[in-house]
Amino acid sequence: MIELLKLCGFEAEDIESELPRVEKTFTRLGIGEEDINRGKQRLHKYYDMQLEGVRKALGLCIRELVNTVLAREDGKRKILYGFMSPGFSILGTAVVSKSKHVFVADIATCLQFVLGCIFNKMTPILEAAEHKWLKSGKAYHCGNVKTLVGLLALDLIPRPDLLVTSGQLCDTAPKTIDLIQEIYDIKTGTYDVCQDREFREYPDAKRVMEFAAKSFRQLALTIQEVVGFEITQDMLFESINARSKLGKAYRNLQDLQETSDPMPISATHEMLWHCVDTLPHSKSDLKKPAAVLNTAYEELKNRVKKGEGVVQKGAPRIMSLIPHHFTDPRWEHVPYELGIAFVSSETGFFPMHGKHTLDIQEEKPEDPYELMSLGLQSSLAQDLSARTAIILEACKRLKVNGVLARYHVGCRIGVPDALIIKDAITRELGIPVLLQEWEGFDPRIYNEERYKRQLESFKDALNSSLQGN
Amino acid sequence: MERKDLDAHLKNRPAQLQEAKRKGVKIIGLFPGNYVPEEIIYASGAVPICLAHGGGSEAIDASLAQVPTIMCPFSRAQVGERLLRTNPYYSMVDMLVAPITCQHLKKAAEIWEYHADIDIFKLGVPHQYDTDFGLQYYGERVKALKDRVEAITGNEVTIKRLNEAVGLYNRIRGLLRKISLLRCNSHPPISSLEFLTLNHASFYADPPFMVEVLETVYKEARTAQQGMNVNAPRLLLLGPNVAYGDYKIFELVASNGGEIVVEELCEGIRYYWRDIKTGGDLIESLATGYLRDRVPCAFMRHSARKRLDFALTLVKEYTVSGVIWYELLGCETYDSESYFFAQEMREHKIPMLILESDYGTSDLGQLRIRIEAFIEQIKGAEES
Repeated sequence: MIELLKLCGFEAEDIESELPRVEKTFTRLGIGEEDINRGKQRLHKYYDMQLEGVRKALGLCIRELVNTVLAREDGKRKILYGFMSPGFSILGTAVVSKSKHVFVADIATCLQFVLGCIFNKMTPILEAAEHKWLKSGKAYHCGNVKTLVGLLALDLIPRPDLLVTSGQLCDTAPKTIDLIQEIYDIKTGTYDVCQDREFREYPDAKRVMEFAAKSFRQLALTIQEVVGFEITQDMLFESINARSKLGKAYRNLQDLQETSDPMPISATHEMLWHCVDTLPHSKSDLKKPAAVLNTAYEELKNRVKKGEGVVQKGAPRIMSLIPHHFTDPRWEHVPYELGIAFVSSETGFFPMHGKHTLDIQEEKPEDPYELMSLGLQSSLAQDLSARTAIILEACKRLKVNGVLARYHVGCRIGVPDALIIKDAITRELGIPVLLQEWEGFDPRIYNEERYKRQLESFKDALNSSLQGN
Repeated sequence: MERKDLDAHLKNRPAQLQEAKRKGVKIIGLFPGNYVPEEIIYASGAVPICLAHGGGSEAIDASLAQVPTIMCPFSRAQVGERLLRTNPYYSMVDMLVAPITCQHLKKAAEIWEYHADIDIFKLGVPHQYDTDFGLQYYGERVKALKDRVEAITGNEVTIKRLNEAVGLYNRIRGLLRKISLLRCNSHPPISSLEFLTLNHASFYADPPFMVEVLETVYKEARTAQQGMNVNAPRLLLLGPNVAYGDYKIFELVASNGGEIVVEELCEGIRYYWRDIKTGGDLIESLATGYLRDRVPCAFMRHSARKRLDFALTLVKEYTVSGVIWYELLGCETYDSESYFFAQEMREHKIPMLILESDYGTSDLGQLRIRIEAFIEQIKGAEES
């Protein structure tokens, strides 16, 4: 255990204070010696453990897991979870900055990273959900909502005082928490949007942003009832400002990855950066994750300066539809092994005019709730025609030689687009596209032989395309 | 006006509409779910047609060129019909009004929009349907629909015409309601399949003609001496959707000695339980009636309990002894809810059978066996 913690950037004094808590958490989650050994092997295999930024980022994820599992023992009087809830971290930062008795977590992302990517321990959680209402088979329920239901069904996380989700992307998460409220008697809150933008309106998103802001505002009232204090506009602006530094650090890493040749680090790390970006810490605590991402950025910038990379300079460049796998790094590791530069995923594709990060000094917005809804401009929140346009734009901007058109079978927003986007890329850009059905949160679907075979053929197509250019 | 007149009307309807089109009348398609106020379209002089075909394999097979099987078969059928262009209703529409309801139908609308060959109006349906801002938003979108329809037809939707249209559609809803309520009787004078096909016919038929047909059907049914099989277990059908043409469940239930006496479906059936208020601010009345004064579908937020309560009311009023939950493959919201409903029905000691369909025929044998066993189980319980 100590070796694992050292590997994950814990200093000696941290280990002394944190070890009992980590042990308690791991025992509760069923992470034993064998799992820890497997975890260490996986870290060495899939992550760049030479980099301090990586080690410290892993450490932050483990701490978040521990803080979540032990929140009640830590004396937190109110626990709020966000689940598939873009923008909620701003509200989270606002309330935890105001009261140390409140704990807020993005409940899935960090747990998925630690339990899935590091320890490969997702299966019992997913199976627990399948024994409830998210049965496996033809309905293709999303592995992300299975994670939430599995964690509650197995009693692995404290019951929250409020569970929050969003309908900004899909109906699956709101339906899931609706049933959680009915079946587990947990108070829930949803903020929403009305996805009726027409392509003729693109890129204007004013109407839906205003709706989203109203819905967010209503959620804030529910949160106020739970935490017992008012959430003011000033608190939100301060929270936005504080989080923008973390967001900027994350975006810097993404930019470096997207623009460097050779690629300085494998794509397995994108989920790690993303995970750190979701931590809804208080304003003062946010300095730490931002510093960790900045450390990683400086280390990678050095590599770029020296011309060092994890694949050869000039390697074929690809990007993928939908974000990288949330619980299984093998999906991003194999392209790296094959010498393919996997430069980006759809975690944050925005239209050219869109905003990745929030800068209130620059924007001078009037309504913080509209700012919290900026994610609605990202490709995943758009309709098919706009999403296609953004993807085509991203292909050109990132100068990719091919695209992995992945579709997450549990996702009703993304799946139906895949074939059409594939055709559009082929027709408009003439680059190879590999269509791939997968489950973005469930490691059980991984089949290395089949995947490698697919990617090897894809690499041949990429090379032919490169030579053709 | 008899039922056979309705059949003849429906047979001639595409030709009649083509003729109207030639004369400049606009045909405006809409997707089902009861979130598009047809009254606005009708009041503009255009013809509203609710596109609700499904149940067969040809259209969903055609859709596979563009969408994977994860989309529900009904939504895939809407994509497939547009690609095939063999169904006259799908080929003749000048504009599509797509209510943004479930993710599947939303995506079908996006695919229509992507092909950009007709005008699409996306009617936002706030899933937080019980909020003031949700109602306000929907009202504004209904107003925007009115503007768009006026632009495409060149006709103003006057208050007078809109009021008349609301009155006309209220008559359709009211008659369907009265006919449906006749099924509360111990000898239901009309079968569920007859009721459903009447309901479906109202999506395509000329509304004044439909009123005449429904009046005749109601009069005849009210005075009918004989009804359906009195000994058959009385069943409630719950689920997301029964498309125009997706009738195998009704046939299987009837042929195995059961009788569906009432349905609670989201898409594929005209919502008839409530009328729209006439007079006053009609846009507001339409918004309230179509969004709020109704049973919410499963994709709506916190809707499960409300729909369960309504289902239990139907169970009581229609003296139901069993529930058939009929869902379409890939429908994640209804599939999730089936667990909750089954649990609750168990507590109320009401047997419930969950069936899934992908519009294929390969599962017919299995469906038959399961329905037969379910009906036998209810009969056994009733006898004992």
